[in-house]
Amino acid sequence: MKYTALCKFDLNSASREEAITELLGLFSIGEKSRGLLAGALDIREKIGATVVHNNIALPHCRSILVDKLTVVVGRSQPGISWPEQIVNTVILFVSPVNLNAPLEHNKFLSHIAGKIKKSGDKISEVENQDELLTLLGFKLADQGE
Amino acid sequence: MDKQLEKLISLHDLDVMIADLNRKDIRKREKDMGLHTEGALEELKELRETFCKGINRKWRGLYNQLTKHYGNAVVPALMGRCAGCLTRLPTAVCSNPERNTKIHTCPTCGRIIYWAD
Repeated sequence: MKYTALCKFDLNSASREEAITELLGLFSIGEKSRGLLAGALDIREKIGATVVHNNIALPHCRSILVDKLTVVVGRSQPGISWPEQIVNTVILFVSPVNLNAPLEHNKFLSHIAGKIKKSGDKISEVENQDELLTLLGFKLADQGE
Repeated sequence: MDKQLEKLISLHDLDVMIADLNRKDIRKREKDMGLHTEGALEELKELRETFCKGINRKWRGLYNQLTKHYGNAVVPALMGRCAGCLTRLPTAVCSNPERNTKIHTCPTCGRIIYWAD
C-alpha cells in the first residue's frame, strides 16, 4: 500500500474544525482543494464523530481531490475538543477515488484499527513523533509499507 | 474556482461517501471501530438532497446523467488529459490559468473536468 505520511506533533488548534484545517495545511494541494476537503471531512464528522479510542480521533474520507492516500498524524498536548470528547491524537487520512481505492481504504482502516487495538493507550501517551509513527506503523513522507 | 464546479466536486465526494457506506466491508469495518452510527446513510442521503438544491439544474442534470452512465461524473485533468477517458484536452483550455473559473467538459466522454490547484 502506497501512501504519503506526514506529522505535526504540536498542534495549536483547540477545536475539531481548526485541527482539521491545520492538518490539511500539510497536504500538498491548493487552498481551494483544502477547503473542499475540509467540507467533506466535516460532513463525515457530522454523521458520527470519529473518536475511535480514548483521546484518538480518526477523521477520514475519500476524495477526487487527492491522487494518493495521504495520512497526517497530529498531536496536541492541551487537547482538542472533538467536541463531545477531548482528544490529543488525530489521525487524518484521505484516500483517492479510483478502481481499487475502496479496498485500499478498508485495508488502511483495518491497519489503523489493529494498531489502536494493540497499543491505543501508548499511542495517546507517547511523547515523541518517531515513537508515535512507529506505533502506528507509518513511515514519513512518500514511503509505502 | 467556479462555485458550481466546487459544488459538483463536493457532491461527487458526498456520493463516494454514500457508496462506501453501502459497501458491506467498509460498513462492517467502521462499525467494528465504533465509527458507524445508525441512520448515517439516511442522513447523508438527506444531506445530498439539500446539497443538490444549490446546484444549477443544467449541471445537476448532466452530473446525474454522467454518474448513471460512467459511475463518476467529475474527474481531474491529468497531464492535459481527461482522467476518465484519457482524451487529450484542448491546449488552449489546459494552458489557461483561469480554466477552473468556468465548467469544462471532456470533448469525448462529456465528463466534468477540474484542474487541481
